[in-house]
Amino acid sequence: MSSALVARSAFNRNVAAALARKSLRPLVLQARGAADYSYVPGGPIHRGTVNDPTPFPTPSKTHGSYHWAFERLLSAGLVPLTVAAAATSGTAYPIIDGLLGVSLVMHSHIGFDSILVDYLHPRKYPILGPFFTWALRATTVGVLVGVYQFNTNDIGLTELIAKTWHA
Amino acid sequence: MHSTRAVGLAPAFRQAALRPRNVARNAALRNLFVKRSIQTESFTPSAEQQILNQQRLSRPLSPVLSIYQPQLTWYGSIANRFTGAGLSFLLYGHALAYLVAPTVFDSTHIIELVGSLPEVVKYAGKIILAAPFAYHSLNGLRHLGWDIGRFLTLKGAYASGYAVLAGTAVSTIALLFV
Repeated sequence: MSSALVARSAFNRNVAAALARKSLRPLVLQARGAADYSYVPGGPIHRGTVNDPTPFPTPSKTHGSYHWAFERLLSAGLVPLTVAAAATSGTAYPIIDGLLGVSLVMHSHIGFDSILVDYLHPRKYPILGPFFTWALRATTVGVLVGVYQFNTNDIGLTELIAKTWHA
Repeated sequence: MHSTRAVGLAPAFRQAALRPRNVARNAALRNLFVKRSIQTESFTPSAEQQILNQQRLSRPLSPVLSIYQPQLTWYGSIANRFTGAGLSFLLYGHALAYLVAPTVFDSTHIIELVGSLPEVVKYAGKIILAAPFAYHSLNGLRHLGWDIGRFLTLKGAYASGYAVLAGTAVSTIALLFV
């Protein structure tokens, strides 16, 4: 009886191996031809199966550490800039007003961009993600023009906030 | 029996059942005692991928906010994003409105409109604007502290979080009467 068991399990093993070879052969051929599978413990990872790892973006300092440093420096710089703008008036020191306007818009743009990256990542939303990213960029350009127009032709951001607060 | 001492009777039963004397001659018994396999289905990789995708579509998106315990850490974090986005929407909205219709949204009109509101509405409006600004600024300082390596313990995060909340309350009242 045990010999029948052994024979049956050997038979099952052969069947399973043949089936695996047959069903995965086209993928193996494709992978070997494309030369883009890597050997990892547990077997080679074939492209296009349930074993695919998450793709990571290419490392780039511009989108990585430089972006991070710029964002923190901008946020830190906003603190003395806001204090200075609150202490002086926009008409007396228009440069501070202009700097504040541009810095605030850049800070807002980076914030909105992180919101998009968190909730509408292009990896998951291949159409909506890039669309809203570019829509945000266009909107920021429009806002920069609007801020410039307002600071030039009108009283400027600091004065507006000061006057509205005491209206 | 000596085999029952260690693990129980099951191995003994199995041994007795699988001995050729009992099972080889009895076809029904042989199937009963030998067939302990699981039923599996064999899929092609594309069918496997389809099943996996269906499962993934039905899963909730992490973090599952409906069951996550309210905590100062993530409430504070989403409040920071919320206040920042709200203030930025105001800035973007006003700049775009002025760009599109400068005669409607210029400063004189805005100041007139705000000045004509009743006192209560003005105070309410000031609170609605000052509180998010104060919270976002103070929490921003907390974030910058994290970036230079401070407050990165549980105690530090909670202590700085409560300090930010207290500072927000004080700053809002101060800005109200500035």
